Amino acid sequence: MAQNKIAEYSRFIRPQNFDELMLLAEKAAGKRVRMVNSTAVGGGVAEILTRVVPLYNELGIKTKWDVIKGSGPFFGVTKTFHNALHGIKSDISTEMFKVFQETTAANLAEMSFDEDVVIVHDPQPAGLIAAKERSKAKWVWRCHIDTSHPQADVWDFLKGYIEKYDASVFSTPWFARKLAAPKYFIYPAIDPLAEKNRDLSAAEIETVARKYKLDRSRPIITQISRFDYLKDPLGVIEAYKLVKRHNDCQLVLAGGGATDDPEGGQVLNQVQEAAKNDPDIHILLLPPYADLEINALQRASTVIVQKSLREGFGLTVTEALWKAKPVVASAVGGITLQIIHNFTGLLVHSIEGTAYQIRYLINNPQAAKKMGEYGREHVREKFLITRKLRNYLALLIALDHPNEDIIQG
Amino acid sequence: MTAKTAFEFYTSSQLVEITSQKAGDLKEFREILKGIDESSIFYHVHHAFREHQFAPGVYTNDFAHWVEEEIGEHVLAERLANINIKDYTELGALRDKIVEILDGYLNQNPAGGTVPAKRGFYFCRAIGIVLKTRYEAWDYDEFCAALKKVGLRSLFFHFFEARLRLAKRSNDFSNWIKDNYGDEILAKKIEALDPYIYTMDQLRDRIIALVRKKRDGLIGRIFKWLKIR
Repeated sequence: MAQNKIAEYSRFIRPQNFDELMLLAEKAAGKRVRMVNSTAVGGGVAEILTRVVPLYNELGIKTKWDVIKGSGPFFGVTKTFHNALHGIKSDISTEMFKVFQETTAANLAEMSFDEDVVIVHDPQPAGLIAAKERSKAKWVWRCHIDTSHPQADVWDFLKGYIEKYDASVFSTPWFARKLAAPKYFIYPAIDPLAEKNRDLSAAEIETVARKYKLDRSRPIITQISRFDYLKDPLGVIEAYKLVKRHNDCQLVLAGGGATDDPEGGQVLNQVQEAAKNDPDIHILLLPPYADLEINALQRASTVIVQKSLREGFGLTVTEALWKAKPVVASAVGGITLQIIHNFTGLLVHSIEGTAYQIRYLINNPQAAKKMGEYGREHVREKFLITRKLRNYLALLIALDHPNEDIIQG
Repeated sequence: MTAKTAFEFYTSSQLVEITSQKAGDLKEFREILKGIDESSIFYHVHHAFREHQFAPGVYTNDFAHWVEEEIGEHVLAERLANINIKDYTELGALRDKIVEILDGYLNQNPAGGTVPAKRGFYFCRAIGIVLKTRYEAWDYDEFCAALKKVGLRSLFFHFFEARLRLAKRSNDFSNWIKDNYGDEILAKKIEALDPYIYTMDQLRDRIIALVRKKRDGLIGRIFKWLKIR
């Protein structure tokens, strides 16, 4: 993958944001940072780390990225933890805690930390904090999921680790739990130069549409997501069927799998079963690195849907907004930060609401276009990778100035 | 006319900390507000000014926004949105005003105090990192040229943050003009600009227009004086 240079981002953002990024980088330059997460491919965290790590290095922050090792049972456990943290009732056994502890211990035995700052992403590698005693680093836990209503046993178990961090970072204020150390919020972001978001030619879009036999003369409704119950792909099919009673249209459900999500196959089977009698429903299981295809599918779409039942931040919504697409999405998690109802998109709460708003957008292309334009501007200011880089640089600086409200540069 | 000291343009970057204080209804909100750190009040009332504003009509302060969206008390939201922060040179006084508005509302609508919010209010506070930009000005011309180039956050820093968080009595621009040119009238005109009426871009243009007008007046007077001579 060709690496983009930081200067290339200046054309997407307002000059003040670019200037501020460079000033912060100057101040934080020389720091050594280690990022740790649980998967190198698939899912939003791996995707964003792939992009930001080289950029931090270019900005003078010496950044390394490690992925913890884990077996199938370990990722089964962490998937259950993930659901439980999202508030989905899950059966938890002491054996699960044991699997988590053993995998943590195995990883700890192979890792050492001599950086200035260690940023650990999500619960899977949270146990690495045990290495804090033998490192001089400041430790930050970066939580990408909504922990506002977690299942108590899982949270209590993980809290034992999380409380030892020097700081934690959440995607929004309401995802956070009470913790003694400082908690910050940093919105996630997308990379406008990534294969998934870069501008595409009409020919590139058409090639992908043809490959998947999409008829571009009729409306295309698309949800891009992993095949996961929390993304409610079955609910999207129901909504599509309601729309189809009034408007001829097609549905695309496209997504890949992540190595830390063992539930994906089961959900995909159910979705394929629900879609099997309708040739206008296109279920696309995309391989990793299908970013160009996802980009083209989003751009070929008339309406983008994100009907999640729970959501972390919902970067697929950000991607759609950046492409100036009208979006219909559930009012859950970080989606409500991105979609200002009736302005940058439409928020919904049910299958019926989803169908109703899709119909509205299909039948009102001018309103849909305007919404898409506002959505793109919203992302330009708030949800591009350069803003996120700024926030992390500010975090690196602030970690050296505990209890200071104003840090004089 | 060259100033005695250059105006150095700074900017501030923010990291937002989530406090442990969360209000589930208006009564809780008022109680927390009374004791919350002043930096939290500063953040919730001002952070929207730091961003490029493209959404007309959206309340700029978080308190009004929350009351409107999550509590559904439109009258109270409008009252909170209507506070002119420029009237307050101390955050404590701004806090008192917000509490006074809440008290007034809750006295008239006691039942409204316990209506649960759809989503609670999460009190946050900002850590400001002050950074010197490459811009400085030694006279009005350079000042206008630099102000045109610096980001909105630099304008925000000198107009709001310096005044309220660094406890200066006026904005930095007015202070510089008074200290270097002794021009109380221009300083007051800039201080009187109301950021609630203007977007930050418009506020920047208004400041530049006022300074240019003054500079043009000065040049005109010099030409007139030379002509008479």
